[in-house]
Amino acid sequence: MRVAIAEDSVLLREGVAQLLTDAHIEVTARCGTADELLACIVHDPPDAVIVDIRLPPTHTDEGMRAALTIRQQYPDVGVLVLSQYVEVGLAMQLLADSAEGVGYLLKDRVSEVKEFIAALRRVADGGSALDPTIVSTMLKRHRSSDPLDSLTPREREVLELMATGASNAGIADSMVITQRAAEKYVSTIFTKLGIPATGSESRRVLAVLLFLRS
Amino acid sequence: MAAVLPLLPERHRAPPRPALLWILGLAAVASCAVTAGLASVNGQLYQPALRVLLVSWITLPYIFAGIVAWKRRPDSAFGPLMILAGFVIQLSILQWTNQPVLNTIGQLCDLLVAAVWLHVFLAYPSGRLAGRAERVVVIMAYVAAVGLQLVILMLGGFDDRHLLTVVERRTAAEAMQNVQLLTLSALALIGVVLLWWRWSALPRWQRRRPAQILINCFSLSLVMLAALLTAGAFQLPGFEIIRLATFAVAGLAPLAFLAGLLDARLAKGGVGELMVRLRADPQPDLRELLAQALRDPTLSLIYWLPQYGSWADQDGNPTNLPELDNGRRVTIVKQNGEQVAALVYDATLGEEPELVEAVSAAAGIALENGRLEAELRARLQDLQGSRTRAIEAQQNERRRLERNLHDGAQQRLVALALELGLLAEQAESDPATQTRLKSARSELAQSLDELRDIARGLHPAVVSGHGLAVALESLVAAMPFEVQLTTDGLPRLPEQVEVAAYYVVSESLTNAAKHAQASRVSVDVGVAEDSMIVEVVDNGIGGADSERGTGLRGLADRVEALDGRLRIWSPAGKGTRVRAELPCG
Repeated sequence: MRVAIAEDSVLLREGVAQLLTDAHIEVTARCGTADELLACIVHDPPDAVIVDIRLPPTHTDEGMRAALTIRQQYPDVGVLVLSQYVEVGLAMQLLADSAEGVGYLLKDRVSEVKEFIAALRRVADGGSALDPTIVSTMLKRHRSSDPLDSLTPREREVLELMATGASNAGIADSMVITQRAAEKYVSTIFTKLGIPATGSESRRVLAVLLFLRS
Repeated sequence: MAAVLPLLPERHRAPPRPALLWILGLAAVASCAVTAGLASVNGQLYQPALRVLLVSWITLPYIFAGIVAWKRRPDSAFGPLMILAGFVIQLSILQWTNQPVLNTIGQLCDLLVAAVWLHVFLAYPSGRLAGRAERVVVIMAYVAAVGLQLVILMLGGFDDRHLLTVVERRTAAEAMQNVQLLTLSALALIGVVLLWWRWSALPRWQRRRPAQILINCFSLSLVMLAALLTAGAFQLPGFEIIRLATFAVAGLAPLAFLAGLLDARLAKGGVGELMVRLRADPQPDLRELLAQALRDPTLSLIYWLPQYGSWADQDGNPTNLPELDNGRRVTIVKQNGEQVAALVYDATLGEEPELVEAVSAAAGIALENGRLEAELRARLQDLQGSRTRAIEAQQNERRRLERNLHDGAQQRLVALALELGLLAEQAESDPATQTRLKSARSELAQSLDELRDIARGLHPAVVSGHGLAVALESLVAAMPFEVQLTTDGLPRLPEQVEVAAYYVVSESLTNAAKHAQASRVSVDVGVAEDSMIVEVVDNGIGGADSERGTGLRGLADRVEALDGRLRIWSPAGKGTRVRAELPCG
């Protein structure tokens, strides 16, 4: 796998590059700004990019705009956005059209090396990776006559994993159950929430998010 | 008692000395005595007593009205012009004497009265001929009255008592005389048109009754003069009657003018009304009252703020005294020797300085109060300004701190966490190290969480970075209750407005969650007429008080610092509604 990094903190940028190299992932570019990243992609499109949301010169939304541009102009390039804060609003913006090949994680997640690499691979392969805090924040809300109330604790756990972009196999791994059991949980949840079952894993991420937001 | 000091234009003139006015008055009386003397000496004069009476009637009122006007309106040239007109018209009586030089002068000035009247009437009220058309008509009238008279006399016109006859051409002289009479007649009629044209161009409020009577009187005099001159040219019957009537009317004009001056005094009746209204209304719209009392809707009122060393309007905004030209006049009102206020009014009101003086004096105390109020407003604005600056400075500082945390400590700690993560990968085979690393990483994760909360509390970076709508969506998502968020079509607005709106929503939601026991909240954010409107309504227990909780009070400060308004309705048991209006122009 080939990955480009855009991160203005040298310490962190080199740390992530090291992490990727250790995992036998080729780092095609190490950029300090969004413009550099866009230029690199034009010359040598990687499988995925890792973008810090706050980049020079104004440190406001340069990284976010670069991420959206790449999503639009290079649909084959997976985009993993990293940020010190995760914002539900920004997640909705990133996933506005589809959850395919996109990820949005807290920066801290880089320290959980295995999970981080897995998320990156998922994004590069066209899947999704959403920070668990986003899903748990959205699940906290109490609604009147809430279909979520009808879920069992295990089903809620599956829902959270599903919303972060985990595959059925991933869910099975995390929960130490069989893949068949995981599949069964997923279909029960969809029935209980009244969400039409969708094929791909990234589509169900979006469906769950939209359900939670409504 | 308030003192008033009219601030007059540069061309201000000192009032005439009383002695001069007395001399002029006595000279007028004396000239009438001379007229009577000449008439009685002449012996050939037709109806001498009536002629003396008529001459006095068309001269004395002009001179005396002129003296009064000059005394009361030293600024206007109209008074001196009237005095001059009276004496000049009297020159024509010199033709009653047989002394050749005096008789010549008298005959030369015989028709001067026509030109002088035109001049005086068209020069009302300033004493100056305002327009080019007026100047042309008056000059032509003088040329016709004196210039053509000279030609007629040179052709041996009228009689042989004068010294100017060059050639005896009686027929030519008579023809020339007809031309002269008809020209003057036409000019008089043009004068009427000019009078009315100028009158109708005045704003309605300036077309007052006394002036209207005066214009009517001038017009009638000119029309009758035209009739008289035409009758003279065609030797129509009834010439003497027309002359009598014309002179009678023309002598009325100065009386109408005097009546107008008197009306200015009568207008002081408005002062009484002003005082009654000032007493009735403790907080009057002073400008409006003064404008009515002075009958000048364009009047403006400004106050002197000694603490600021500047003039200010009624709202305390600094302003300057207007330029004295451009048809405006200024009167400064003083109280105990110190300037309090200034009235700025139309220059035509400068014709009635006594009225302005009386009105300003009557409004003295109210003006002093108005000044204090303007000063208070100016101070409030100052306070507002310093509060705005304080909040701005605080916000800048918070933004800077958040940025430093984000780029410094947070990045370093994340890099450290990454380092620990990589170490853990390498130490996979060493369970003891793994355990210690795991605990270190969880400590670090907690520190990062805490740091994140601190940074977030310092400044909502997502607002400046991605706009209010995105920030609110995240805020609302974290609430434990259902929130109906409407931010449709919200444009990006100045950062301080967006941040303030963010805090309004965030604080209201916190209040709804912590104190109001609300289960449903609606948040509406929109822009209407250059203001951002933020409204948060919950279905909780109500009873929120902006004076009690520091959160809502701080919110009001923040909103008011941006010149906005924060309103909180929170009746017990009926939910809470917070509404902020933030100007974003």
